[in-house]
Amino acid sequence: MAGAPDEREPGPAAGEPVQQPHVAGRVFPERPPEGKPQHRFLSGFLSNNQKCQLMLLRTLEKRVYQEQILRPSWDHRYLGAEQRWEEADPYVKLLLDAMKHSGCAVNTDRHFSCEDCHGHVSGGFDASTSQIVLCQNNIRSEAHMSRVVTHELIHAFDHCRAHVHWFSNVRHLACSETCVRDRAILSILAVRNISKEVAQKAVAEVFESCFNDLEPFGRIPHNKTYARYAHRDFQNRDRYYSNI
Amino acid sequence: MADGGGGWQPPRPCEAYRAEWKLCRSARHFLHHYYVHGERPSCEQWRRDLARCRDWEERRSAEAQRSLCESERARVQAAQKHALVWTPRQSPPADWHLPLPQEEKDE
Repeated sequence: MAGAPDEREPGPAAGEPVQQPHVAGRVFPERPPEGKPQHRFLSGFLSNNQKCQLMLLRTLEKRVYQEQILRPSWDHRYLGAEQRWEEADPYVKLLLDAMKHSGCAVNTDRHFSCEDCHGHVSGGFDASTSQIVLCQNNIRSEAHMSRVVTHELIHAFDHCRAHVHWFSNVRHLACSETCVRDRAILSILAVRNISKEVAQKAVAEVFESCFNDLEPFGRIPHNKTYARYAHRDFQNRDRYYSNI
Repeated sequence: MADGGGGWQPPRPCEAYRAEWKLCRSARHFLHHYYVHGERPSCEQWRRDLARCRDWEERRSAEAQRSLCESERARVQAAQKHALVWTPRQSPPADWHLPLPQEEKDE
């Protein structure tokens, strides 16, 4: 990717912006056609693109810490490795499982892209290519990556399970962004050239319904404990629905 | 299906009812719930469901089975009472798994 910020329109904010209050995900109708990231090698350090991809992998999969006990080079016997597993993010686990269940299995190479973005954008969901864009120049930590991936996966999940008119229906956009009223309004204003009053009206109309649509969590996942419980419920759904 | 008898088991393992009850009664949940809804959470139903689940496990009580089913159906109803803003899909988006346009060009 030329990385040239001039090629991107300003503004569309998503996930956790770097120094601003949280504004939510967006779709990128105007992503430049040459979307491939350019690999810049900074000697001695990983490039932004490599860091982004590494953080993404660690967010999506169980983290494995592996130690190999090495012998001198003349001794080629392999002694084995010690592995330690850490839990993958329960929000992400549940969303990936729910999407697979809905027929939208997520393939890391196909459905995620690390790119340079303009302004204080953390990421977005591009409905036209079914791809989650991660802003490699703005995502600074694994915790941040986790939040952005979770947020954009929710947009992808909504896109998978329903006919969401991202571009033509501001109420649909409002619905996918709804968690807290004010933030939903900010998110809409960041990605659509409409007045605050129109955004407020859209959120007000859909809030009752969308705030109570808790799929796929079934509850508001305030923290990882709730997300773990939600994932357990999801895994148990066959038993649940066949016994009520 | 639920009250048929043969092969029925509680919709959730009894440990799950206990875990939900404990979570509901925790201080952290009280704060979350009050912040969002403006009222204290009600946890009594989880406690009742836990008791019925144990009752069924010990005595295979038909009344416990009936009450548990009723309670869970009420939960499902409560979750579904709001109409969706958008139309659900019958199948996933057709282009979800298709290769990206530039990948086609590269090949």
